[in-house]
Amino acid sequence: MKTVVRRLAGHLARGAAMIWVVTTISFVIIRTIPGDPVRAQYEKLIEQGMAPDQAERATAALYGFLPKGSLWDQYVGYLNGLIHLDLGQSLSTPGTPVATLIGSAAKWTILPVLGGTLLSFLLGVTLGVYAAIKRSGRLGDALAISGSLLHGVPQYVIGLLVMAVFTTLWPILPAGGPVDIMYDPGFNAPYIVSLVEHATLPVLTYALAGYGGWILAMKSSVATVLGDDFILAAELRGLRRGILFRYLARNAILPLFTILALSLGMLFGGAIFIETIFNYPGLGLLLVNSIGARDYALMGGTFLVITVAVVVANIAADLLYAVIDPRVRTGGAA
Amino acid sequence: MTATQTATVLPAPASTPRRNFWRGVVRVLRRKPSRMAGVVILVLFAFLGVFGPMLYPSPLPRDDNALYAPPSLAHPFGTDFEGTDVLALVVTGTRYVLLAGLATAVITVALGTAIGLLAGFHRGRWDTVLMRLTDLQLTIPGLPLLLVLSTVWKFTSPLEMGVVLGVLGWGGIARAVRSQTLSLRERGFIEAARGLGLSTRHIVGRELLPSMAPYIAMNMLIAVTGAIYAQVGLFFLGVLPFDANNWGVMLNLAVFGGGALTSAAALPYLLAPLLAILLLTLGIVLVVDAMDEIFNPRLREE
Repeated sequence: MKTVVRRLAGHLARGAAMIWVVTTISFVIIRTIPGDPVRAQYEKLIEQGMAPDQAERATAALYGFLPKGSLWDQYVGYLNGLIHLDLGQSLSTPGTPVATLIGSAAKWTILPVLGGTLLSFLLGVTLGVYAAIKRSGRLGDALAISGSLLHGVPQYVIGLLVMAVFTTLWPILPAGGPVDIMYDPGFNAPYIVSLVEHATLPVLTYALAGYGGWILAMKSSVATVLGDDFILAAELRGLRRGILFRYLARNAILPLFTILALSLGMLFGGAIFIETIFNYPGLGLLLVNSIGARDYALMGGTFLVITVAVVVANIAADLLYAVIDPRVRTGGAA
Repeated sequence: MTATQTATVLPAPASTPRRNFWRGVVRVLRRKPSRMAGVVILVLFAFLGVFGPMLYPSPLPRDDNALYAPPSLAHPFGTDFEGTDVLALVVTGTRYVLLAGLATAVITVALGTAIGLLAGFHRGRWDTVLMRLTDLQLTIPGLPLLLVLSTVWKFTSPLEMGVVLGVLGWGGIARAVRSQTLSLRERGFIEAARGLGLSTRHIVGRELLPSMAPYIAMNMLIAVTGAIYAQVGLFFLGVLPFDANNWGVMLNLAVFGGGALTSAAALPYLLAPLLAILLLTLGIVLVVDAMDEIFNPRLREE
């Protein structure tokens, strides 16, 4: 128990350090953008006849830091706002706090990402065991090759191909957006059907993009465990195949959880492409659009939230790992 | 120990192991024709990267009568929104893509190897600091960071793009090199070299690095693929100016501007750059597979 607490404390410290680095990067970038958007906003308000202190406050509300004073004061002001969970105001949709926009976008990212990851994990792990056991056979070979190819191809290529196939060549699914606007939102059948239809292609893309990595990782992990003495011993003891499989799978699946942690970070990168392709209003599309609209407060906020999500996912995966692998829990082997 | 034996065997005629090496390469390539195909694909792309822009007049000719033309003999992949030949766009775009990929690979390998070696060889405090840094680099979501950076950086030259991608992408190699260093430094031959009183420079340069070189080379190829995806992806998302000649620009215009997805006739415009990416990836994957077997004798099936 003590080790778990210590691990958690270490993770939290490292996560905080990372979030600090990311906010600093955001701050520096917003300050160095050609044309100084913060200054420009302040001066625009002054020109519109606003009193200096009023303009200052309005600009500060927009960006989360003051346009005047030393760089250090601005930086401290910015961090202070973030600590109070104030991400500033959006420029492209005036009057809306950045946090609100991010909150409504988050659900469109989290659900498809989780669905796609779960699907590809289950599929990849099951087929990975098969590919490892039958690795000299033709089917095992074919599975491994399909894994290498899908793993090697970037998500946007998969997304674009999926889109071309299912919306142009064989148009059976809607091309973009989260839902058809003609249905009333709520718990009614046409609305839910429309939601599912629109989510199918993004989820399929997430699943295809993740599948390759899982099958390759599981295959090599199973191949390693197959060579272990305890498997030989279990075979010699004449244990049933089901029990043998459980021994194998439980040990082989362990290293995959560290990959899961890293892949969640990658998935947010992938979400940017997949949401742009399918015009799906999640965090990735929000980030891309904020850059297109020069809405820098929204950009910084989205970047920060994506980073926090990655940090949290990392910590969760590590704790999960401790629960699953008793060796880590007692702190003996780690 | 075996170290003394290797020491006496090594200075033998240097040409024999060399020749054996090349014979091994040929044998590995021959056994699976797909690997030969991989080499051919990479050579082809290298040729296009170097000579591609010279094959076509600059700027590329436009044909106002053939906007979004379907594939034909004159235009194997059709034409784009200005009537420019899509194949010509792909060929001339190869140089930016490959140059940026190469620049990234050189920087990731140089930085990653240096940091990994330093951390693994000296261990202790340096190790802790460098590995924390590596963890940080690895966990910061890279693509969002690149997008945010694109607001201040325009990446008009492929080298600039390569430098930024390289500086943001050395973590994987650093971690891999460190773990290799940690395991190699406990081996007999390193211990022997230290026992002989050889300098650290000699041990690192002559003993450690050569045994890791194939491993690093493979990581470099993987870094090239990563760099290609990232830069094409950035252009595809449309956050960078379109004056660069890049496959990603084609993808963006095909999907968001050209409506290549609204009719099957315009699909080749979208498919051409995708095919180029897939072919290049395939080439790299096949060559990595071949290298894996050349340098890792344990994988060799006799």
